[in-house]
Amino acid sequence: MSRKNRRNRKKMDPRATWPRPVSPEERARILRFLEERFGFPPEIFEPYEFLATAKNYWLFVRTPHLENLSKLKIQTAGLLFLRKVGDYLKPTTAALQRFGRYATRNLVELDRLTLDRLRLEKKIPLKLEIEPGYVILTCEGQIWGCALYLPEKLISYLP
Amino acid sequence: MAETFELADRYFERYQEIIPDYEKFLTSLAEPLPLYFRLNTLKIRDPEPVLRGLHRQGFEVEPVEAIPWFFRVEPREASLGNTEEYYLGLIYPMTLSSSLPVYALEPHPGELILDLCAAPGSKTTQIAQLTEDQAVLVANDRRLDRITALVANLRRLGVACAVTTVYRGEQFPLEVSFDKVLVDAPCSGEGRYRKGYEGELLYQKEGRTNLSGIQKGLLVRAYDLLKPGGVLVYSTCTLNPEENEAVVDYLLRKRQAELLDWEAPLPSHPGLTEWQGRPFHPDLRKARRFYSHEIGAVGFFVAKLRRTA
Repeated sequence: MSRKNRRNRKKMDPRATWPRPVSPEERARILRFLEERFGFPPEIFEPYEFLATAKNYWLFVRTPHLENLSKLKIQTAGLLFLRKVGDYLKPTTAALQRFGRYATRNLVELDRLTLDRLRLEKKIPLKLEIEPGYVILTCEGQIWGCALYLPEKLISYLP
Repeated sequence: MAETFELADRYFERYQEIIPDYEKFLTSLAEPLPLYFRLNTLKIRDPEPVLRGLHRQGFEVEPVEAIPWFFRVEPREASLGNTEEYYLGLIYPMTLSSSLPVYALEPHPGELILDLCAAPGSKTTQIAQLTEDQAVLVANDRRLDRITALVANLRRLGVACAVTTVYRGEQFPLEVSFDKVLVDAPCSGEGRYRKGYEGELLYQKEGRTNLSGIQKGLLVRAYDLLKPGGVLVYSTCTLNPEENEAVVDYLLRKRQAELLDWEAPLPSHPGLTEWQGRPFHPDLRKARRFYSHEIGAVGFFVAKLRRTA
């Protein structure tokens, strides 16, 4: 490799490689999680495919151009959608803000005061009648993003 | 300060013959630029909650009739970047005329589109919005720090149809061919100049860099990246014919490109076919010039071309 190339490469993000399209089984697993936890109808993701990196799933428009595009060195592909956290999947706030309006389960409506407190303190005591796990925060009709509900406390994942 | 004003008047004097209603143009330079945002319809289609929220925070908001989903905001000196609506990705603050190149591009779902100088992403996200997140976008910028802002905006608006790349535009790899390419080129920014405001610095940059050389390199590469029949849009926010018509004229001499008519949603004037005694291709009249005092936004130049061979 020439010196010039090495210098150019240094500027690129070393993590910048194409994510792999997931198998049909993996896709089914993701869609099952989204449906079971949040009630997302699988068909809303029909125009998209999921691409996987080591710890993340990205949502990218379904296209016959994908293989062609993989000739490019990229920084990102699509919308960072889910993170793999241990055995769990955690939806990103970006994903929930975009698609949250299709969710029917585990939406947590907060009043303005509680939301502000959660954003400030990151973790607040709260008792809810839902299964522990990730939830979608809403306030005054807007979708704010992701939080984790554990018995009697709510942990914010809002950026 | 008075000295700066005279400087501006002197600077634009060379455009006296081409700028319509030149006196009004000069007067308008004393006013701060109007502030606009685009509603992000990927997340919200009803503007009411956004308008209510912004109103509560002291903003006055009016829809722009000519361009759907655009709104004009007062006080124009304020920043929308700290609002909740911004944080939630419901709005994208951008000048009205920034939407024009995307109108010229007419993006459709399924098309493979390259935005060669994309950061921070106003046009990339607008293309995503117009195609319901169903075009396939490659958003490129040569600088990694600017890509960071682009990626943040794509995430904020919830765009899932874009990949981001960091190539020098004039060296973008030729392995992939596109249906459409947008070159919103780096420019001297004369169109956004206002006395005593940010544009001042931008227009003074001209002269230190060979901008038209860079623009020609970008435009020729953009053409080479098109499929036969593909559409190319070239835009700048400058009035300078050297960075506008002369750049397109250069492409017409180097490649089999054809200028196309397009319908602009804001008042415009034909591109110049002559500047300082130098003739340009007669079809350059199909390019559009937008003047800030006529459209109430940043002055712009937009040319739409097709690859014929």
